[in-house]
Amino acid sequence: MANLDSLMSLTGAVAAFSYSDAGELKEHRLGDGPLNEDVLDLLAHVCVANTAIATMQARGWQKLTDMDGFYPIEGFTLVGFDWSAVTANGMGVVLANDSADYEAAYKALND
Amino acid sequence: MSLVSELASTPGVLAAGEYSFRGDRFSYEGMMDNEQARLASIMCRATTMATHMQTDMMDQFAESCGCAPSRGWIVKGRDYSVCVIANFFCFVDNHNASINDVVKKMRTSIGDTEQALV
Amino acid sequence: MLKKLLVLDGVMAVAKFRDDGSFVEGYGMMPDEQLVGLAKFAHDYKRMVQGNADQLSMFAQVRGWTPPGGWIVRGPGMSVLSVSNVVAVVNNQETSINEVMQELRDAANY
Repeated sequence: MANLDSLMSLTGAVAAFSYSDAGELKEHRLGDGPLNEDVLDLLAHVCVANTAIATMQARGWQKLTDMDGFYPIEGFTLVGFDWSAVTANGMGVVLANDSADYEAAYKALND
Repeated sequence: MSLVSELASTPGVLAAGEYSFRGDRFSYEGMMDNEQARLASIMCRATTMATHMQTDMMDQFAESCGCAPSRGWIVKGRDYSVCVIANFFCFVDNHNASINDVVKKMRTSIGDTEQALV
Repeated sequence: MLKKLLVLDGVMAVAKFRDDGSFVEGYGMMPDEQLVGLAKFAHDYKRMVQGNADQLSMFAQVRGWTPPGGWIVRGPGMSVLSVSNVVAVVNNQETSINEVMQELRDAANY
């Protein structure tokens, strides 16, 4: 399982966090930038909510189109104005958009 | 070459498309039929609406935190992922496409466009 | 019409918004900026619920879910109720949700 320090070592990482199934913030690390604990808590809730919606969509898509491969959802990323929050498996990392390496983040989150 | 054509011809991309924020129009290219593109447009529009609301709320709690307005989102499934920036969507095969390249292409072309949701 | 809702037990605030999300009016035990925020939240949330109801209809291929008539979010002490373009915040201990929803329907159609 990924740890917060390894997530913070990703290029452009400004925060890393872990959260419960309900989206409550558990642990976090903050780098330089305007983010804070409250934003990370909201972010975790946002990602849990959207993962749930995406799971519903993947299920519906699978049933209507007979196309497998989306379910189960393995991660949700919010591409914000300056930052991207990549989340999977109860952990997340916030990356600067300009240098965001989504694949490396997913790999780290699934390690 | 339009962005949709460019994305659709990228290795590992299954299909790409554009939908109107009003929800009444869509266009697409790639390995998808008209009905699938319609479903995809409805789903992408719904999630985009949600992320806009969520980032606006985060911005209210922490002004200028860099979250809002939302530029887009990515959802990663077991074999396929969906990348959405503004009102463009792209379905990619996780094993044969680079999400980084796709998102970079999308952000470079449309990342800063006005995203007024009607 | 909107103010009439405040007479009901447990109703703490009410607000009305236009289809484009702009604030029309709001009353109750909340500062004005919070009433404006309540209207904005209700407008955004309505669109999310609409989007999700559309998808439910689409995937399940069952009629009857769309267009959604309204929504209720219930918290431990307070709830937010909305029908069409009208929204109310209520105290769970003191209110009758059925009664408030009926009044919201009336206010929305007024």
